[in-house]
Amino acid sequence: MSVGTAAPPAQAGFERTWQGHPGLRGWLMEVNNQPLGKRFMVTAIIFFLLGGVLALLMRLQLAVSDNDLLGPQVFNQLFTMHGSTMMYLFAVPFLEGLALYLLPLQLGSRDVAFPRLTAFSYWTYLFGGVLFYASFLVGVVPDAGWFAYTPLSGPRYAGLGVDFWLLGLSLVEVAGITAGVEILVTILKLRAPGMTLGRMPLFVWTMLVTGGMIIFAFTVLLTATILLELDRAAGMAFFDPERGGNSLLWQHLFWFFGHPEVYIAFLPATGIVSAVVAAFARRPVVAHVLVVVAIVMTGFLSFGLWVHHMFATGLPELAMHFFGAASLMIAVASGIQVFAWIATLWGARPDYRTPFLYLLGFFLIFVVGGMTGVMVAVVPFDLQVHDTYFVVAHFHYVLIGGVVFPVFAGLAFWLPKVTGRLLDERAGAASFWLSFVGFNLTFFPMHIMGFLGMPRRVYTYPATLGLDAHNLVATAGAFMIALGTAVFIGAFLHSLRRGRPAGEDPWQADTLEWSVSSPPPIFAFRRPPVARGRHPLWERGRPAAAVEAEHQRVTAALDAAPTTWRATLSTDPLTGAPQGVQWLPGPAMSPFLVALGLLIAAIGVVANLYILDLAGVVLAVGALARWLQPDEALLERLRQDPAPRAAGLPVFTTGAASTGWWGALCLVVILGTMFGALLYAYFYLSLFSDAWPQGGLERPGWGLAGPATGALLLAGAGLWGSRRAFHGGRRAAFVGLLGGSAAGAAAAAVLVLVELVRLPFGPGVNAYASAHFTLSGLAILALAMGTAVAAATTHRLERRLERRDAFDTLQLQVTTMLHGFALVAALATLVVLHTSPVLL
Amino acid sequence: MRSRGVALALLALALAGCPAEHPQSALHPASQEAGRIARLWWVMLGVYGAVTLATFALLAAALLRRRGAEAPGGGVRFVVVAGIVVPTVILVGMLFYSLRVSTALHLPEAAFTVRVTGFQWWWDVRYPDHDIVTANELYVPVGEVVRLELRAADVVHSFWVPNLHGKMDLLPEHPNQFWLRAEVPGVYRGQCAEFCGLQHALMAFDVVALPKDEFERWVAERRRPHPEPADDELRLGQEVFFSAGCNACHAVGGTDAVALVGPDLTHIGTRRTLGAGTVANTRGDLAGWISQPQVLKPGNLMPPTYLEPRELHALVRWLETLR
Repeated sequence: MSVGTAAPPAQAGFERTWQGHPGLRGWLMEVNNQPLGKRFMVTAIIFFLLGGVLALLMRLQLAVSDNDLLGPQVFNQLFTMHGSTMMYLFAVPFLEGLALYLLPLQLGSRDVAFPRLTAFSYWTYLFGGVLFYASFLVGVVPDAGWFAYTPLSGPRYAGLGVDFWLLGLSLVEVAGITAGVEILVTILKLRAPGMTLGRMPLFVWTMLVTGGMIIFAFTVLLTATILLELDRAAGMAFFDPERGGNSLLWQHLFWFFGHPEVYIAFLPATGIVSAVVAAFARRPVVAHVLVVVAIVMTGFLSFGLWVHHMFATGLPELAMHFFGAASLMIAVASGIQVFAWIATLWGARPDYRTPFLYLLGFFLIFVVGGMTGVMVAVVPFDLQVHDTYFVVAHFHYVLIGGVVFPVFAGLAFWLPKVTGRLLDERAGAASFWLSFVGFNLTFFPMHIMGFLGMPRRVYTYPATLGLDAHNLVATAGAFMIALGTAVFIGAFLHSLRRGRPAGEDPWQADTLEWSVSSPPPIFAFRRPPVARGRHPLWERGRPAAAVEAEHQRVTAALDAAPTTWRATLSTDPLTGAPQGVQWLPGPAMSPFLVALGLLIAAIGVVANLYILDLAGVVLAVGALARWLQPDEALLERLRQDPAPRAAGLPVFTTGAASTGWWGALCLVVILGTMFGALLYAYFYLSLFSDAWPQGGLERPGWGLAGPATGALLLAGAGLWGSRRAFHGGRRAAFVGLLGGSAAGAAAAAVLVLVELVRLPFGPGVNAYASAHFTLSGLAILALAMGTAVAAATTHRLERRLERRDAFDTLQLQVTTMLHGFALVAALATLVVLHTSPVLL
Repeated sequence: MRSRGVALALLALALAGCPAEHPQSALHPASQEAGRIARLWWVMLGVYGAVTLATFALLAAALLRRRGAEAPGGGVRFVVVAGIVVPTVILVGMLFYSLRVSTALHLPEAAFTVRVTGFQWWWDVRYPDHDIVTANELYVPVGEVVRLELRAADVVHSFWVPNLHGKMDLLPEHPNQFWLRAEVPGVYRGQCAEFCGLQHALMAFDVVALPKDEFERWVAERRRPHPEPADDELRLGQEVFFSAGCNACHAVGGTDAVALVGPDLTHIGTRRTLGAGTVANTRGDLAGWISQPQVLKPGNLMPPTYLEPRELHALVRWLETLR
């Protein structure tokens, strides 16, 4: 499986196809998961170091009582940027980058499902992070906390810094969501033949659940940040109590994201731990199935805990105890994992090399953080320690112990695969001990500081609290952590030049990434591997089952093939049986351009230059159209290629067998979640209002909404009919029905727009008006998307109808999903907006 | 029930130690409420501390066992027992215990109500039953339940006096209910616990718990009208208060100053601190606060006041008579 030196012509063509373009242009057009995964991780580590420097400055300010080194303004900016950087710019992007790099290697795939989306995700992440930090250049740094509670973050109390925060964050959220889709579809569709769900490595399981969680949690946060920016930039009133808005609405939306966010960072970290534990114990993780159950359970439960961040807001007691009890259930899920690892290590006599040292650090710190976590979920106790340094201690034990230590274990474990070089063991051990001791010196005293009266987010504290000694120790510890991190990075840089070659499998580990050279070839696997069991590399000698002969035949046909286009095997989401040869795109500029358009639009909002918004949107939509435009010459080439035929697999698939269908499903779920979050906001506001509509506004009538509803229903019927016409090959009927459906959606959008324009009030008069306008606006945008997709599909399939194949069927399926969703969502919106004021 | 209450009160007393040494501590309770929560903490520390140590011991055993050994009871059974059964039993037991503590922490029948409103960055304190308005400090009678009606005037704040109780947020939308029941006389420091902007760190207050008779005396003294300025300097001080524009933001009971922008100064002479716990209320700091408030607490709403030394001295003296 290693890379040969003198490749025959076919192999040379295969390798050439997978090479990226040279130069700066090639760098911007890169779509392969390995370079992009590395970029994700390097960028995230740079932000991690920046966030660490901010933390050191904070610790200097807090080293002694009544200190005036930095002053309140700078301190508030520092803790806002520290928390935001670590949560949004480091933890999740790093783990997504690791997953994007590693998943294809672990799954036996040559790349991820949507390579161009990887590139888009990276660029939006980078642009969002740079926009965040650009606030330092302009001197208006965000200062409302990483949680940005309203009304403090609203237009009345916060300056331009919060706009930088919201817009930068929006871009990072888009990056996070798209990477989540990427991860989800890659895991479901691009596994090695024979890799059933039950044979998936635990790291992959954690990423599967995490990908799903990201889609819901980040979408809700994205919706919330958009609403807050509408309050700030467009004068809306969602969170303004003086105009019927509600500040607690922000807290609900934020923590609906914010709590899962913790597990979005923690679950992949447990996946890293499982991989390292298994490799160092040289045996499979004990109770694999229970661990999988625990991972899935954690994913679900994490969405039922958000209120435990709000125990002191005066919510009904019963609700609080419900959320408190749910928090205990998640502790059981963590317990299963912890004891599964202990059972795996029982009598395994592991080598205490750097990854394992960091793993032990994780164990000791995380267990303590887990215990304090169970404590803060207890309502009366939380009333005392909430928003104190006890909580600061708790979540640093969980996030540094539970995420950063596993990340460093994972770096020490996988860097040899990425760079081909081993880390120096002495430097690795030194960095571990400095970080571990420094960590406990920094954060253990904070438990006591919380009890002795130190609230969070204070830039100073009086000497009378008696906390000087604790704080000084904490500051000293923080610098020890910094030293430990510096030693690790030094060891890494040293290993790049002087490290011992790692070989394919330096740890004798079990998963597929250790079967290829280090660093892996850009296409990962010349011949797609076959998974014989849960631990492919430990089961090499096992006799092959009958089904494997078929898998071997398929993968042999794809050995160094196809040669003129990038492809990987697509397999059944449940059984891992081969389903098709999946075409993968090569270098492309459009992802970069779409991301650039979004950045320009975001800058336009921050700078109040709406001409920039227009330019940005035009650029983004134009580049997106080019991205999505099917290349007919390429499609023809794919149809003619011998490689898929040799493998006996189709090159185009439809429905759940195709990646495109799953991608469209994810988009529908994301848009549905946005509508859901907005409807939640609408009903939450109405629940806490004396009258609905607020402020004696007139109820919306059916004058225009009635015809709009009719247009939507007709458009739905047209869409349904067009599918029958397509499969029946009736061209005129197909064009009339799908084209008519697009026109119906457009007509409905125009009617809704006219209704908005004719309303006697604007979106800023009160929260009801804001919610009404925003929901209608989202419906209009959805209908615009549906119309565009349906029109483009009508146009293309009209010419393809007689020669229609699976690709065309898939296009119609995707169109049906997106256009159909737009019609349903708009219909639901109209019904809610026009009936709830009457019913409530 | 009563005997347990007494026992808890005694426990609270025992734990209270010297409030002056720990003026803002959740582990030195001076009330039943804080005492119950502190005891909950010690119980949880015992139980979960033991669980932590047991987990570490199992990890150590795992790492030290001879090569090839299997976890006690076999791998899967070990995970089921140690990871599911034992934690569930412990967590359910602790859940029932904590629910009992919660039930004991219901708002009891109150002697009277105090309205506390959070501003950036100070506390407006009103006793509607006693017709007293003050700021940044609460006087309460020992042994009686004082109901608090908490509300924010601008952004979210949180009311927290750890020696006496947990915390409760002040929201701009609607008032939240809370209460204090000090069992031990003393001065307890409280502080805003929800980040509320630039000077969140300097938004403190004192709760002064007085024996009941002393509290009655405190009420009576506060309700007595201020005496007329007794000498020329005091008359000048009062004049300066109006001519320098202090009355544009501050109210003084019994005068024409009724503004609500800044803290009510009716009893400024008895106030323990200035600037919501920023500095002690001494003559020097009061003068400093009036002339340079932005030095002591940057970002607060009060502008510097430029006065002749004679005027400043007179103003400070007059303010000191407002008791």
